[in-house]
Amino acid sequence: MKQKFLPFLLLLLLPFGAVAQRTITGRVISNEDKEPLPGVTVQVKGTNTGTQTDFEGKFRLNVDENAKTLVFRFVGLRTLEVDINNRSVIDVSMVPDEKMLSEVVVTGYSVVEKRELTGAVTSVKGDVIQNLPMQSFDRALQGRAAGVLVQSANGAPGGAVSVRIRGVGSISAGNQPLYIVDGVQMNIRDDGGGRVSNNPLAFLNPNDIESIEVLKDAASASIYGAQAANGVILVTTKKGKQGSKTNFEFNYYRGIVEPVRILDVMNTQEFINVRIEAIQNASPTASPASVRSTALTQLGFPATMTDEEIAALPTYNWQKEAYKTGIINNYELAASGGTDKTTFYASLSANQQDASLINIDFSRIAGRLSLTQKVNSKLSFETGVNLSTFTQRGPYGSSSGTTAFGAPQYSAPIILPFNPIYDPEAPTGFFGLPGTGKVMIGDLSQNVIANSHFIKSKGLTNQMVANISATYNIAKGLTFKAFGGMDYRMLYTEFYGDPRLSDYFNIQGTLTVNNNYNKNLTTNATLNYTKTFANKHSVNALIGTEYREDFQEANGSNGQGFPTPDFSTTNAAARPVSISGFWTGFRRSGAFTNIRYDFNKKYILNFTARYDGSSRFGAARRFGFFPSVSAAWNISEESFLKGNSVLSELRLRASWGTTGNDQIGNFASRSLYGLGGTYQGNQGIGPSGLGNPELRWERNVTTNLGVDYALFEGRIRGSVEAYRRLSKDLLLSQPVPQTSGFSSITQNVGEVQNQGIEIELNTVNFNTERGFKWETNFNISFLENKVTKLYDGLEVLPGNLSIRVGYPLFTNVGVPFAGVNPANGRPMWYDINNNITYLVLAADQRPLGHSNLSTMFGGFTNTFSYKGLELAVFFQYDYGRIAPNEQEFRLADLGGVLRNGLRYYYENRWTTPGQITDVPKPANNRTEITGRISSYQSISRFYQDASYIRLKQLTLSYNLPSAWVAKVKLNGFRVYAQAVNLLTWTKWTGFDPEFVDLGTGNQGIIPQSRNYTIGVQARF
Amino acid sequence: MKNISLSIKTIAAASVVFLASCSNLLNVEPRQSIDSATALTTQEALEAAVSGVYDRLQSLRMYGRDFVALPEALSDNGRATQKSGRLFPEYLNQPNAHFTAATWQLSYFAINQINLILDAAPRVPMSDAARNNIEGQALFLRALLYHNLVRVYAYDPGAVIAQNNRGGVPLILTPILSSDQIDKPARATIDAVYAQIYKDLDDAIVKLAGVPNSRAPFYATRAAAEALYSRVALHRRDYANVIRFADAALSRGVGTFLNTAQYVSGWRSAVHPESIFELQYVAAENLGVNEALQTTYTTLLELGNRSRTGGFGDLVPTADLLRLMEAEGNDVRRQLYELGTAGRGPAEIECTKFFGKGGQPNLDNIPVIRVSEVILNRAEAYAMQGNTALALADVNRIRNRAGLPSVNLSGPELLEEILKQRRIELAFEGDRWFTLKRLGRDIVKAAPAQTLPFIDFRILAPIPVREIQANPNLQQNPGY
Repeated sequence: MKQKFLPFLLLLLLPFGAVAQRTITGRVISNEDKEPLPGVTVQVKGTNTGTQTDFEGKFRLNVDENAKTLVFRFVGLRTLEVDINNRSVIDVSMVPDEKMLSEVVVTGYSVVEKRELTGAVTSVKGDVIQNLPMQSFDRALQGRAAGVLVQSANGAPGGAVSVRIRGVGSISAGNQPLYIVDGVQMNIRDDGGGRVSNNPLAFLNPNDIESIEVLKDAASASIYGAQAANGVILVTTKKGKQGSKTNFEFNYYRGIVEPVRILDVMNTQEFINVRIEAIQNASPTASPASVRSTALTQLGFPATMTDEEIAALPTYNWQKEAYKTGIINNYELAASGGTDKTTFYASLSANQQDASLINIDFSRIAGRLSLTQKVNSKLSFETGVNLSTFTQRGPYGSSSGTTAFGAPQYSAPIILPFNPIYDPEAPTGFFGLPGTGKVMIGDLSQNVIANSHFIKSKGLTNQMVANISATYNIAKGLTFKAFGGMDYRMLYTEFYGDPRLSDYFNIQGTLTVNNNYNKNLTTNATLNYTKTFANKHSVNALIGTEYREDFQEANGSNGQGFPTPDFSTTNAAARPVSISGFWTGFRRSGAFTNIRYDFNKKYILNFTARYDGSSRFGAARRFGFFPSVSAAWNISEESFLKGNSVLSELRLRASWGTTGNDQIGNFASRSLYGLGGTYQGNQGIGPSGLGNPELRWERNVTTNLGVDYALFEGRIRGSVEAYRRLSKDLLLSQPVPQTSGFSSITQNVGEVQNQGIEIELNTVNFNTERGFKWETNFNISFLENKVTKLYDGLEVLPGNLSIRVGYPLFTNVGVPFAGVNPANGRPMWYDINNNITYLVLAADQRPLGHSNLSTMFGGFTNTFSYKGLELAVFFQYDYGRIAPNEQEFRLADLGGVLRNGLRYYYENRWTTPGQITDVPKPANNRTEITGRISSYQSISRFYQDASYIRLKQLTLSYNLPSAWVAKVKLNGFRVYAQAVNLLTWTKWTGFDPEFVDLGTGNQGIIPQSRNYTIGVQARF
Repeated sequence: MKNISLSIKTIAAASVVFLASCSNLLNVEPRQSIDSATALTTQEALEAAVSGVYDRLQSLRMYGRDFVALPEALSDNGRATQKSGRLFPEYLNQPNAHFTAATWQLSYFAINQINLILDAAPRVPMSDAARNNIEGQALFLRALLYHNLVRVYAYDPGAVIAQNNRGGVPLILTPILSSDQIDKPARATIDAVYAQIYKDLDDAIVKLAGVPNSRAPFYATRAAAEALYSRVALHRRDYANVIRFADAALSRGVGTFLNTAQYVSGWRSAVHPESIFELQYVAAENLGVNEALQTTYTTLLELGNRSRTGGFGDLVPTADLLRLMEAEGNDVRRQLYELGTAGRGPAEIECTKFFGKGGQPNLDNIPVIRVSEVILNRAEAYAMQGNTALALADVNRIRNRAGLPSVNLSGPELLEEILKQRRIELAFEGDRWFTLKRLGRDIVKAAPAQTLPFIDFRILAPIPVREIQANPNLQQNPGY
């Protein structure tokens, strides 16, 4: 090795040997912001004489007397050659290199320049999502990529997120995109077990991400054939740069989390009042005095309580105790650099964030190392390892929706407001725990704040994601690459029900622990050939094979009977109650090819195909073939447009392709006998699934038309896409009569169509000489979803009225609310013939003309910068989603049951004949007095528009001038203040319009929080 | 170029070889399930499959709560206190507040499991005794399930409102393991369902003849099949068979008819001595703090200790039921009811038949058929046949045991006395609704609940809507 370096060393020494020399000094600045550029290579053309600019962009170079030209080089900037002309001071300003600006985009198994794209790919650069107080990058993608709808399932940090690319195509099978991190296909199943919402993508520190590419149409995604029906999200992490010195970056932010909304509920007096009314309405003949005493007794008060005594009763705000301010903390140190043979990137980070609900948090330590090594001119290696451990504390009840009475996220607003929260006399300090002799009144009889403090609900994830690849240049243009990737996850969850709490008092506490191991392996081999003929015909051909396996096993136990709350490990349980365990897995393998032909950079033709198999399907039906073709025409390369001063870039793209979906149960095609429950300690077995040996791939056929444009040298640029995605042979869970002994069978039937338009528009509105710049990035997606076919000529899916031919998926079905009869205060409905009725029947249900799917969404960013000061304002919006507000439904009970409710309903309730209102009179047990009519229970009164616009992110930052930071030997120093979820405009009255309905509607979801952070970033 | 095309050819050839091996590569065999085609090929597997059926019965939506508590809430025995809000709509007989879709589902799932067992058993090599035991249990369980289905979703023979009658329930007797075996069955007639239950019980009795009594009460025995026969025959108004099978059941030595002194303690022991068939629950099967029978019926955790509040006490005896028990004084059965705590609202007199007898709160075995029921079945049958003497003997056996003097009644008064004793004896055990229904009587309720006339559609439970949608041949009960 030493010998190899010797010539270089000699070259470096050469200048000092020469006699006739002169000194040139100068300063290099950026043409864009007029800031000095450090690290620019300044070289005498044709020699090895050179230097680099310092922190102030200055350089000093001794050159030969006969040197004629200086060359300035900097990554991303156009290389500049300047004649010396006997000058001794040369100041230059460098402009961005348009060729370099022509971004490279990572597609499946290869990287192409953006101008070569033929399909629909959206790219999000890592710096856009940097330093957001979000634990997983999927959440940060929200509003950043056209066609990608991101909805958080809950506000738990590191919690589940729903990502839908170009709509929902599948009714019963999964709609999750395929996530690939540095080539490793990720397992994204949430194994948190409900209480802890475990987002497997939280393993990766989002600040380690270089770019995220979303493959949206089938032509782009079909290289991943069988798994790509729902789109593919490719994540590329940061790497070191060749031939750069080692750069360090320290990053720290800190902040607070606060609840977005607290509901305005009735106070004690209002509740007592409305409860009396409800009972009186149910028994009109009963005397008011007896009704009053009945109500008071029921609420645990003396029957003889006077009005004055009632007025003096306190109101306790349970929500205030449940939703509190929390903290955010993030530390990171990253180093990167490289020689001409080796590059590296290493980072270590610690992240901690609370939810706005007490005792819910996330903390992660993640380390990452990536290395590339060029062994020789033919062989190179690349490897990356990400190790992370994160711990989440979860709530009582599921994070993503629960109706558990003990869960504060469900119960806090509805606990009767005269129940005290704290009891100074109780040993625990909390009111109403068992054994204290004091109990909470009402249906919600658990002290949820005590629950939050005493339960231990924890998920601990240790995850390693590693990849290694070797690339070998067989011959000129021909490369072989072998890749192996591993995603290993160990998830430990525990739930300790403290013996002091009412649910666990009688059994002296309970502890459930689970260990879940997931091993997910991807390997592939690709052969790539590139050749340009006659300077015009350029061909790129790729073939490859791939294999993936994913196996999961778990074991767990439950024990009860803990001597004191201080003991909370399994061995302290007096009674082992149950053990559990399972094993499951799948395999996929396939071969693929991609051939790209490029004529003179004008016409690009692309053909992709994949032949893919999955173990989930019937033995004879495992493999599917997924072809696609696409083409692009770079119109701006044509002579009639070339050099056009207005239209600098114009490109047309068209694609057609197919992709597959196998997101069903691992053994859904098999007729199996599984374990049932036990009887008398003997394990029972029974049929666990109705097999379908004919089960095969669900197919998506997508056509896409796209235009990319740039005007005025790129000051206006963007793209427009139109697509139609037809999902057919759906893996539909088809209901069968349960008299068969089964509920459903998975069949390839039904069709769903998504079509839409996506617009991206990026403009530089101002870029003044004095350094003021205003940029706008805007994206909007319009989506129309429709079920086009079911099976057996059915118009409606049995058992699910919201899935019907000709309507969007998740169409809202119900009986329309006809208001309140002013004469008697009873709620009225329109029956199937549009006649007014009091009694709602199942047969009166019909589509209400709206659906739970968003029809328009996107984001809008404005960035204002002046010198080092920058203000970024990011709005995100989601429109067209109408959802039943189940929480409101429960909060509108008006004393019908022993639960508190919203003040709005109290203040607007019907009380007197002739009164016009949309809130019926209070009804005991939500039921009319005849006992026959329970139409108070109908949810259709509570459909609300869940559309919203949110000021998602507001960041004010200041890059200290490099002259200042250079004095303390820094490359850069940035300070910023940031607010997330600062403002939301919506008609939705619940905690948060953003939620994913996982079966409990919007009830008991941990809401999103508002976050404020301040941070510093130092580069040195 | 040659090299390159050679390489491509090599890779292509390699890919073909690779893909050829893929079919094997893609095999993943489940480890906690087995192929259903070969699942039931051993005696052990069949026995496990039978355990799987008993397990279904333990569910909250079966005997865990609904078949015990709903017949009380829907009828005139139970009053919902609204302490957790549960069972209040059922107590008011609101439309759809009835047996739920889960009961239908679990019952038919269990029936298919039974059909699979009965189909496989003859082919599995094992002793005749073992085979008879397995088949006998399966037949008994199928009879029990069909009888529960038909009395929930359909009218009983002889007590039918013709314009509301849509028949019995679908009869599925063949195993289903693949989609081509699924059809869309219509409801069989009530009579056809009863005929099938009779047939299953006849067969069960034969097959269970050699099964030792030591299997009782947690597993089906001949006595259990005979006792169930007497119940089914009573619903069918087939009084001769009620008497015949009641006699048989009582002669087998399964279940002890307790004396007065033992009566209350019988309800305090983990296994009820009177049980002919009882579902056992072990700690891991505890049905929990929300809906288990103890929490449903009582707020108490310890008898007589009103300072500790446990369950919700959602369903308590109606004033009417308490009055009946108290009318004659000294009824030992009244001791099974006591004042609960005020922990969750006003204290109520609560039923303590289910009281965590398994060693922890909410862990109780559930008696399905007791000796007393069989005696009362027979008493009613004798009375219906006009055999006053024997009817009196049976009803006085129940009365005397309860600490009440003998009565000497005849005709309608005797029948009413038998029904009154049945109501008190089996209160909060899941009998009352079905008794009133099979007799075609109105459900007389006190305010705020309202009397439910027998002609009302709410006498029959709604067939799950998804079943009606998935099976066009299945007729919904009227009113739903």
